[in-house]
Amino acid sequence: MSSTAAVAVHGAHGEHHELSFWRTYIFSEDHKMIGRQFLFVALFMMSIGGLMAMLMRLDLAWPDTQFSFLKILPQSLQQDSAITANTYNAEFTMHATIMIFFVVMPILVGCFGNFLIPLMIGARDMAFPKLNMLSFWVSAVAGVIMMSSFWVPGGPAAAGWTSYAPLSAVPLYTGVDWGQNLWCISIIVLGVGSLMGSINYITTIINMRTKGMTFFRLPLVIWSLFITAILLLLALPVLTTALALLLFDRMAGTHFFLPAGGGEPLLWQHLFWFFGHPEVYIMILPGMGIASELIATFSRKPIFGYRAMAYAMAAIAFLSWIVWGHHMFQSGMDPALGQGFMLTTMVIAVPSAIKTFNWLGTLYKGDIHYTSAMLNALSFVAMFVIGGLSGIFMACTPVDMYIHDTYFIVAHIHYVLFGGSLFAVFGGIVYWFPKMFGRMMNETLAKVHFWITFVAFNCTFFPMHILGMGGHMRRIYNPTQYDFLKPLEPVNMFISISAFVLGAAQFLLLANMIWSYYKGEKATENPWHANTLEWSAPSPPGHGNWPGPVPVVYRGPYEYSSPESAEDYLPQWQPVEHATAAD
Amino acid sequence: MTATTAKVRPILAAQRRGGYRDGGGDEREQQFIPSGLLAVLMLIASEMMLFSGLIGSFLIFRMSAPFWPPPSLPHLPIQVTWVNTFVLLGSAGTMYLAVRAVHQNRQRLLRQWLVVTLVLGVLFLGIQGSEWVRLVAHGLTLRSGNYGGTFYVLIGCHGAHVTAAVIWLAAVTAVAVRGRYNARNAAGVERIAAYWYFVCAIWPVLFVLVYLM
Amino acid sequence: MLEHLWFPHDISTFGPQVDWLFLLIFWITVITWAAVMIAMVVFLFQYRHRPGRKAEYIEGNSRLEIFWTTATAVIMIALATLSKSTWAEIKENGPPGQVFYKVTAKQFNWEITYPDPDGNFGPKALTVENEMHVPVNKVVRFDLTSKDVIHSFFVPNMRLKQDAVPGRTIHVWFEAKEPGTYEIPCAELCGFGHSGMQGTLTVESEADFQKWLKDQYANQ
Repeated sequence: MSSTAAVAVHGAHGEHHELSFWRTYIFSEDHKMIGRQFLFVALFMMSIGGLMAMLMRLDLAWPDTQFSFLKILPQSLQQDSAITANTYNAEFTMHATIMIFFVVMPILVGCFGNFLIPLMIGARDMAFPKLNMLSFWVSAVAGVIMMSSFWVPGGPAAAGWTSYAPLSAVPLYTGVDWGQNLWCISIIVLGVGSLMGSINYITTIINMRTKGMTFFRLPLVIWSLFITAILLLLALPVLTTALALLLFDRMAGTHFFLPAGGGEPLLWQHLFWFFGHPEVYIMILPGMGIASELIATFSRKPIFGYRAMAYAMAAIAFLSWIVWGHHMFQSGMDPALGQGFMLTTMVIAVPSAIKTFNWLGTLYKGDIHYTSAMLNALSFVAMFVIGGLSGIFMACTPVDMYIHDTYFIVAHIHYVLFGGSLFAVFGGIVYWFPKMFGRMMNETLAKVHFWITFVAFNCTFFPMHILGMGGHMRRIYNPTQYDFLKPLEPVNMFISISAFVLGAAQFLLLANMIWSYYKGEKATENPWHANTLEWSAPSPPGHGNWPGPVPVVYRGPYEYSSPESAEDYLPQWQPVEHATAAD
Repeated sequence: MTATTAKVRPILAAQRRGGYRDGGGDEREQQFIPSGLLAVLMLIASEMMLFSGLIGSFLIFRMSAPFWPPPSLPHLPIQVTWVNTFVLLGSAGTMYLAVRAVHQNRQRLLRQWLVVTLVLGVLFLGIQGSEWVRLVAHGLTLRSGNYGGTFYVLIGCHGAHVTAAVIWLAAVTAVAVRGRYNARNAAGVERIAAYWYFVCAIWPVLFVLVYLM
Repeated sequence: MLEHLWFPHDISTFGPQVDWLFLLIFWITVITWAAVMIAMVVFLFQYRHRPGRKAEYIEGNSRLEIFWTTATAVIMIALATLSKSTWAEIKENGPPGQVFYKVTAKQFNWEITYPDPDGNFGPKALTVENEMHVPVNKVVRFDLTSKDVIHSFFVPNMRLKQDAVPGRTIHVWFEAKEPGTYEIPCAELCGFGHSGMQGTLTVESEADFQKWLKDQYANQ
């Protein structure tokens, strides 16, 4: 087995003679390389988005204070070494925009989607490798456009990632001119890239499965990516519509969102959230998929209720189209509509609960191995439970009236997006690193990273519930301007210090990845004794993924501790019914 | 290892074509629809959401407006557009004949109907363009309130799609002229046909909503 | 209870209903969270890997799936039903008004318009920036709108929040139970002056209110 891996590693070198450097590393059509490209770009963007968060927390702990080290930042992020009302607005806008569109989506969908789909369904590559390459480069161009807005006069977009019109529609209202235009253009371009990606994913999953890989033998992470791709395919065009209309308002003198010319400000919110709520699930579903893989593997047990898990994800995807109004309870939308949206929103808690209980059921009577990947997956479940439960507060219209646009919401989204999606990402990186790069990540360092992140994360975001219950509004750069918020300033201080620890801890992850890339222990084909198909390929897989024929699939993905096998796992590609595992 | 790499490339190509039997022994689950056509269908689904967003926005303005069109602005040219509607729907018919021709392996007929479709598509765009020029001359521009704004954005979006479809069709026609399509290799024609049907099918909806309603 | 949970002191008539719903959800979520966490921690300890241990091969349990699906659905739908009437009272119907204002938001102030002594919003009506005076125990109704961007009229002490949307007039009501001075921050991002945009709400006795109003008219 290890000799095959060695051959594959050499194979990767052998290809250098066939494909030029440019075709191998830059304009690669190989799904694995494109996945890695997405990973690197997203990690780079994460450092920028994280920097924005650090600046915000710096300001919230010490508002209106000059810090000489801020001088190194561009003028759009600081004025006279201080964070001002203007720059603060730009910072939280870009923080959310970067984290959502250029970190979480590229890692979950771009990196894991690209890397895992062909390997886990038994295909040699995506259905359309050229389109795949194009998808990455179009997204990269979108990233460059977004980053360039830091240096245009007036600074980057500052109307929030939701860019509510009319604030975003008239340059005078924010003082931001080209920054907002570039923001719109960048996300339209990104939408095109995502469209290419999602068409590719859906086609690949429908048409490229190896023999025996029926839909109900697909690993749950593939199910989640499949459903995510469908959501992307259908949700992003609606955002494109909204962004195009906004650009017309800003640049061509139309009045779609401006009441002065007969426009309708709430139209923006309807279009935006019609996209925005599926978007939320686009960012959490792959996380759920990854957590399912990790929990089953490290509990050495079949996932509890495999079909229920798949159906629950489909239900979430369906319901996500009819809940968008819960972002608009206080917006002036007809309150009677609010009643309907409250009901649909409450109902979406049901599939989420199904998933949680099934993860618990998977742990029950398992044989739980505490690897760092597993710790991250478990923390995904625990944090998702908090994020999910806190969502019920805002689903309830009268309660939402109080906590809407407060830090309660900020706490909620971070428990779902950081506590949920990002912990799944951390777990996924440790778990699939050997397959991606052929070496194991350092387990001790990964555990240290996990524990610091876990503690600092909770210290950062849990107290935000308290701020929200105190009525602390979002998006204000100086809470000390309000008498009723003054008693909460120590909480803000505590959050900021925790946030700095949280931010700093992420360098451990980067350090671990870089160190392990060069010095990590060489990975075998199947280091975790997992069942899914990617572990039958060499680590890392060469061009075409399998040196021999593509393996054929004989059973579902979670046959751990099956009575049919003496080992505690029974891979999908294992041909003989009553044989022991090959290793 | 270079040998493996060399072996892999035809396999990849074969997988893309859908002929795994020739692909070095790789076996796959049955495909019900070719990948290329599936991709076009998904593109269409995505485009439908794009149009839904625009149509929804249009309806919100249309329903809340006391006068439509506003008194000072010109009415839209209905008679010419009726003609244009028949031109576009006719092109869907000729496209259907082209697909039938390729399935029957009749090369001359295929070329003939593709060219006719192409001409009808260009004719549609030409008529739309000349009507736009007339409307602008009558004072209806993108800035003429939401009446003008939605008209140009919605109809313009459709026009852009027809333009894209015409360019694509021109490329397919060029391939067809060289005789590359036949009954067993008709996927290229089927893909443009699916997209062409889509741009034709969405037009009557827009015509009714924007011009007649 | 809630004031121990950092909530500002409540002075509105509908505040207790909002707080009651908050508490209800609070306990539902805390109990659910505790149950899930206890189960998780117990499993994590009980079924940790030890040499020679093998997991039990369990693929699922349909009856359990049906149970927790139904249970969650019932609780959720019950919650939505319970919230309906409160929401309807606050935002849809509400009692008839006794005092009427117009509130117009703009970057970055609240303009409060008081009717003239005849009760009309004609040319003699009084407009004051950021100062809202209301009599205690009276149903206050006002038309909320905005001149430029979207703002949000937020009174933490009344649990009241309503966006002010340009081009749209939204009817809002409240009834304050206790005299005092409270803050009216803007809760929706409205530009670079969003932070710091706030008015004051002064709740006072009918007599004090009338006196203040008279002084304002006199100064006009």
